[in-house]
Amino acid sequence: MFKTIKEILRTGDATIKYPFAPLERPEGARGKPEHDPIACIACAACANVCPPNAIQMLIEADKGQTTWSINFGRCIFCGRCEEVCPTHAIVLSKEFELAVMNKEDLEERCTYDMARCSECGEYYATVKQVDYATRILSQLPGDLEAQQAAALTGVCPKCKQKADAYRNKHRDELVGGKRKMEAKR
Amino acid sequence: MMVIDRPLPDALQYKPAKREVDEAVQKAKLALLHDIKRSVYIYRVDCGGCNGCEIEIFSTITPVFDAERFGIKNTPSPRHADILVYTGAVTRAMRMPALRAYDGAPDPKLVVSYGACGCTGGVFHDNYCTWGGTDKIIPVDVYIPGCPPTPAQTIYGFAMALGLLGQKLKHTETREVPGEQAPLLYASIPYKVRVSIEREARRYAGYQWGAKLSDEFLQTMEKSENNVMADVNHLIAKQDDPRRAEVFRALKKVLEDALVDDGRMADMLKSGLERVVVSGDDRARAIADSALSEHGRR
Repeated sequence: MFKTIKEILRTGDATIKYPFAPLERPEGARGKPEHDPIACIACAACANVCPPNAIQMLIEADKGQTTWSINFGRCIFCGRCEEVCPTHAIVLSKEFELAVMNKEDLEERCTYDMARCSECGEYYATVKQVDYATRILSQLPGDLEAQQAAALTGVCPKCKQKADAYRNKHRDELVGGKRKMEAKR
Repeated sequence: MMVIDRPLPDALQYKPAKREVDEAVQKAKLALLHDIKRSVYIYRVDCGGCNGCEIEIFSTITPVFDAERFGIKNTPSPRHADILVYTGAVTRAMRMPALRAYDGAPDPKLVVSYGACGCTGGVFHDNYCTWGGTDKIIPVDVYIPGCPPTPAQTIYGFAMALGLLGQKLKHTETREVPGEQAPLLYASIPYKVRVSIEREARRYAGYQWGAKLSDEFLQTMEKSENNVMADVNHLIAKQDDPRRAEVFRALKKVLEDALVDDGRMADMLKSGLERVVVSGDDRARAIADSALSEHGRR
């Protein structure tokens, strides 16, 4: 009996103080994904990889808006959004106190404007994404491919396809002409 | 696949009628929450979960987290329960048992929707054989998200249900400010060098750690004022963990390969990182030249 009490006193109190004192979470603990609306370019990479579709993109082409949203009630805290984010706009924090009384509080939304295609005038991507891509491509001054791509950032995929087809045709004519000349020689 | 969640037309999917709470019961519930002076008993209903939530509930009542110090106690019958905890995405087969447990518990009672599946259906939200969340069939008072919620999250949820702690999370709507720009990461490092370093780090250490290690490496490069290689060598030398040192050595090799090696390297390293990469233009021209000469030989 005395031995047991001694052992209990030696062991001390194992219970954490949590609700009355803040809880230290260990390194690498995955909690609420924190979204930085300024760093986000609404490229939808996170929505593509999200296994439970907690992150979704609602594209309203008639309004010219894209809405990024996350539902923490559906999130499984896997961290795949953090892995794929090209601008480090979404990072898993250690915040874990996410319980709510009202279901709407589980949702977070961010709305972004979309850019119009310079040729056909249709909305095709968010303004921030186009801007980001243009700035990345302008970092590569010696790269021919990047220069060609930079010239076409303001164009929607459909019009870009047309431009590519036109350029290829043009190139074929050029190369073909050269070949013919070489063959004549 | 990116999914844009639009509600299905009602004609395409049967939706069960949801239970509603009487006004008198609601009043009694508020009164109970306001002035609860006894232990609360919990009954747990597994509505087709993976058992992860159950394991976390049982670790909540272990001595380390010890939910019983607040008088929260697990009970084996819904007839003794004050709080019903629903886990799982509510499979079709579990709807009736879930309702029987709900009807079996005496009023006023609290319903807690536990885990990602309980809150919204989680990964099973669009599965054909689930109802996608507890709140589709019965009124829910507290949602505890998580997959599964950790014991601390669970304690927070119960403390919030009993009015000990306040709610932290709030619904937010943000609108883009016109002219807002996303900052470029590591703008002073040539883009192709940055990308090849990030790729190599991912190849060595996977996405999560690869990103952390390449960030550390690129930050060292960015902070470096005159001699990049010396700073990188210093970064490698100060690593205690041989695995980290190995990854950094591999990244250093990528950086060396990216540098022009024709005697000008030393000067270029002195002058920092600017334009020390083989430009894509040269490479493209070399490829084109070789292709054309080959063609000419034919």
